[in-house]
Amino acid sequence: MTDSDAARREILRAVRENLKPRGIAPGSAEPVQSTADPGPATEGPQGPTKSFRAARGSTARFTERLAAVGAHCTVVSGEAEAAGALAGILSGAGARRVAGSDAPLAQRLLRPLGDRLEIAAGESLSRDELFACDVGVTTAQWGIAETGTLVLESARERSRLLSLVPPIHVAVLSTRCICESLGDALARVRQGASHAITFITGPSRTSDIELTLVVGVHGPQTVHVLLLEET
Amino acid sequence: MTFDRDARTALADAQLRGALRHATTLFGERRRAAIADVPDWEGARDRARAIKDETLLHLDQYLEQFAANAERAGARVHWARDAAQACDIIAGIAEQRGARTVVKSKSMASEEIRLNAALAARGIAAVETDLGEYIIQLAGEEPSHIVVPAIHKTKGQIAALFAEKLGMEPSDDVTRLAAAARQALRRRFAEADLGVSGVNFAVAETGTILILENEGNARLTTSLPRTHVALMGIEKVIPRFADLEVFLRLLPRSGTGQALTAYQSLLTGTKRQPGDEGPEELHIVLLDNGRSRMLTSPVTRQTLACIRCGACLNACPVYRQIGGHAYGSVYPGPIGAVLTPQLLGMGESSALPYASSLCGACRDVCPVKIDIPAVLLHLRAQAVARSGGPGTHRLLERLAFWAYAAVMVRPRLFEWVMRCARTLHILPPLGAWTKWRDLRPLAPRSFREEWRRGLRHEAGR
Repeated sequence: MTDSDAARREILRAVRENLKPRGIAPGSAEPVQSTADPGPATEGPQGPTKSFRAARGSTARFTERLAAVGAHCTVVSGEAEAAGALAGILSGAGARRVAGSDAPLAQRLLRPLGDRLEIAAGESLSRDELFACDVGVTTAQWGIAETGTLVLESARERSRLLSLVPPIHVAVLSTRCICESLGDALARVRQGASHAITFITGPSRTSDIELTLVVGVHGPQTVHVLLLEET
Repeated sequence: MTFDRDARTALADAQLRGALRHATTLFGERRRAAIADVPDWEGARDRARAIKDETLLHLDQYLEQFAANAERAGARVHWARDAAQACDIIAGIAEQRGARTVVKSKSMASEEIRLNAALAARGIAAVETDLGEYIIQLAGEEPSHIVVPAIHKTKGQIAALFAEKLGMEPSDDVTRLAAAARQALRRRFAEADLGVSGVNFAVAETGTILILENEGNARLTTSLPRTHVALMGIEKVIPRFADLEVFLRLLPRSGTGQALTAYQSLLTGTKRQPGDEGPEELHIVLLDNGRSRMLTSPVTRQTLACIRCGACLNACPVYRQIGGHAYGSVYPGPIGAVLTPQLLGMGESSALPYASSLCGACRDVCPVKIDIPAVLLHLRAQAVARSGGPGTHRLLERLAFWAYAAVMVRPRLFEWVMRCARTLHILPPLGAWTKWRDLRPLAPRSFREEWRRGLRHEAGR
């Protein structure tokens, strides 16, 4: 598209022309930061390693924040307990159609429930089938303690739609993957280089009508975190 | 004079003013509570502003870096000089893909370029999916707040609207209204071929775009359709991925008083493998539309640091009274009063820089410390210089200020003038002021006179 090329040249020329009085000769500008260096200005007081060691405190803070943002949380130790808790959540919600992501853990947890529920594999669903699901089960790659946030990376799992479309989202997260701060989580997902990274903090919400909070407007009404304690 | 007229209409609307007072006060309180537990809020503001300043001073380089990295990750980057070109690009993409329905998540830039009208003119239906925007679209109105577009509508009005347009049973239960919108919009999402979103931040070093929201409609818009078009002003770029942290700390707290909004989507190019989720194509449209002009001087340049949180709207005593529509522009409130005249030119919006008492509340709450009053004054000076106007008016103004100065530096003369004003009940030419306000009556004696008559002794006791 030559029109866009012309526009590109024109916009960049206009930017440069208008910046001329900036008092910095073109070319002598401070270098644009290299891709490897995040830059000193943005480093928080705690580096990732330090805060990551304080995992115990982080878990408590994470569950506290989850409650504050309206997400449910069940702490389980080991997969057997996790599967039991998941079964409890699904039957408690009266779920009939449940879809699991392609994460092996999600599939392992759902397998024993196949005789009672309609279990589907998320990646094989059409748009309409997906819209008809009651629950989406995924894992989360990271948690953020300071905000009660789940972090999902597309390179690790196909969880984008299952964490969004069904009215209930169950996410399994290992306590080992709880980061202390937003900055830590950003540093981690940067390395993962997923094409889609999703931060989820509580259920979908809106206050667009008279500022009254409504939960579950486009995304899930319920977010349930299965926090897997690993020893 | 539309601003004057529309502001007066708004002032006469008691329901609107009640809703505005409620909303802006609530947001103000939530913001204060949210920033109270951030250890170094001031430091974060300074850092964010420094990052924006650095970016704007080298905007050409960061834009090129962003475009190159986004394309390397599989996105197509388009450049648009103005609104018409941006609309053309997006409509062209929609036509090439044979899209009849376009789902949209909230984007102020798309309002700015009047994208919906441009698409409609080419037979393409654009459906707003943010609940507030959807209400506004069904009602055929315009947003009145950056963050809460339908802030001016009551649930009763929305219930009537949904009953008429969606055939739902009238109910002013807010949960049922939201559920009706969810259901109606799910159908549109199911059939949509193309999704259009805005962009909150674009990272130069990785080519990533970040979109914040609470409802999940932006996630649906950017993951369900085969093609995703993201529209962004050229000022949205920031240098480094790690810079996102400080902006994510500032924006939700300033906008809605949340530590984080429910969702952030960080999108870098397109999916890597055919089996991956998400659109096959990502088009990023970089929009200038008057922004590069603002780079010229440091005063106007800071307008481009705005991250569209809406905090200045909630803090502004003028906005709190008249709401967004009176500004007659896509961007209302203090930021709109400085942004609109610079984007569109002074011609139609020369009244906007005067829509402020220069109290500075906007500057105090701005998460990136934009000195909005300074920009307002700068634009007022431009408006005056431009108008050139009838010489007599300017001569009179100059004469009045000369006389005022002459009186103020001569205590005796000042006292004499005040005594005349008091005894003759003549007030200086305040007609324009007192037309809409009550002037408190002057005390029978001035403070100086009271002082001489004995107040001095009382005070000394």
